[in-house]
Amino acid sequence: MSSRALRFTLIMLTSAGLGIAGYLTYVHYAGIDPVCTAGGSCEKVQTSVYSELAGVPVALIGLLGYVSILGLLIAREGERTRFAMMALTLAGFAFSAYLTYRELYSIHAICEWCATSAGILTVMAPLSVWRFLRSSPSAPTPSRSLGSPREQRVHAGNLPSG
Amino acid sequence: MSTLKAGQQQGDPTRKQRREQARTQRREIEHAQATAAVRRTRHSLLGIVVAVVVTGIVVVLIASAGSGEKHIKPGSAEATAASSEVTTLLTGIPQNGNVLGRPTARVTLQYFGDLECPVCKGFTTGALPSVIGKWVRGGELKVEYRSLETATREPEVFRSQQVAALAAGRQNRLWNFVETFYHEQGEEDTGYVTESFIQGIAKQVPGLNLAAWTSERGEPALTNLLAGDEQAASNNGLDGTPAFLLGRSGGALTQLEPSSFTEPGPFNEAIEKLVKS
Repeated sequence: MSSRALRFTLIMLTSAGLGIAGYLTYVHYAGIDPVCTAGGSCEKVQTSVYSELAGVPVALIGLLGYVSILGLLIAREGERTRFAMMALTLAGFAFSAYLTYRELYSIHAICEWCATSAGILTVMAPLSVWRFLRSSPSAPTPSRSLGSPREQRVHAGNLPSG
Repeated sequence: MSTLKAGQQQGDPTRKQRREQARTQRREIEHAQATAAVRRTRHSLLGIVVAVVVTGIVVVLIASAGSGEKHIKPGSAEATAASSEVTTLLTGIPQNGNVLGRPTARVTLQYFGDLECPVCKGFTTGALPSVIGKWVRGGELKVEYRSLETATREPEVFRSQQVAALAAGRQNRLWNFVETFYHEQGEEDTGYVTESFIQGIAKQVPGLNLAAWTSERGEPALTNLLAGDEQAASNNGLDGTPAFLLGRSGGALTQLEPSSFTEPGPFNEAIEKLVKS
């Protein structure tokens, strides 16, 4: 998979997750029941004690997470953005795994919206790690010419180390 | 001269070419070293991120285990204190099935509750002890516990816990079971009501024959009682818990809507009117 195709795939997955988290956040603040094919399972999960973390709805935490990931994917690609995107995705994956555990063993109900979001993050986590590890160690392709090889060395020398 | 010419003809590199070749090799080595260093850094960063994420999840799990599923564990010092409180409250008061108080009491209070309902816990541990001490112990009032599913999300769990209480009622110990359950109630929607939890409550009921209680729990008649309670609640327009019907025993009962569930004042006032009428 090319770097461009990988980035596109991740943007698509993040957008889907963003839509789900946005819908669940809206449902939370509007005080309405989410559309759910599995009876009242979604409502049960959405109104459980695990639907909030320190008073903040987990749907809102998810929404902010997806927005941040999407921002990093759209931003100019570089070592730092790839790392930040991977770190956020892994954190999101772990958090959704925790919530799925709570659904299964504490709430005894599965919210299909949450499960879909967890599935998205499960796919995104290894892709983001792969993207971070496999990318070329050299600096990203410059958008403008840096001039002669000598000039390039000078510019490279000005780059922050690490 | 002729030797140099011969060497060039045979393909030997010139000094300039050898210098260029050495530079290229050095660059390749430096590039390989830089690449390896970047890879090492990336793997280290990945390891740090994984460690931070795992630590975060462990912290959240520990924090939520300490609050989300908190309920008094059977056998703990808190459970012993709760059990003692319940025994003190109920000792000397007659029980018959779901009824607490003398059968001849002039006034009847029907209490519709869900054992997982936190507001019911507020009433049971707030206003009810005072009402029991003032009116039930004195013989003027009897209280009937009836079931209405509200806080318990899973009908099967609701049936199991409420039938367990009714089964204790077969041994005239329903109120011990109900009071103990409310005293040790956990956080709503955390799935704390398991078979083990229900048995833990039963084991704290003094004098309860556990073998007989277990056998009674399977009786369809008890499940039918739940259906009867639900119908009664529906007939009286009760859709939340705790809910109350109050009136002269044997007569029509009307809904009591107290201004507070934890203060005995509104209950005492309504009961007093009926007792003195």
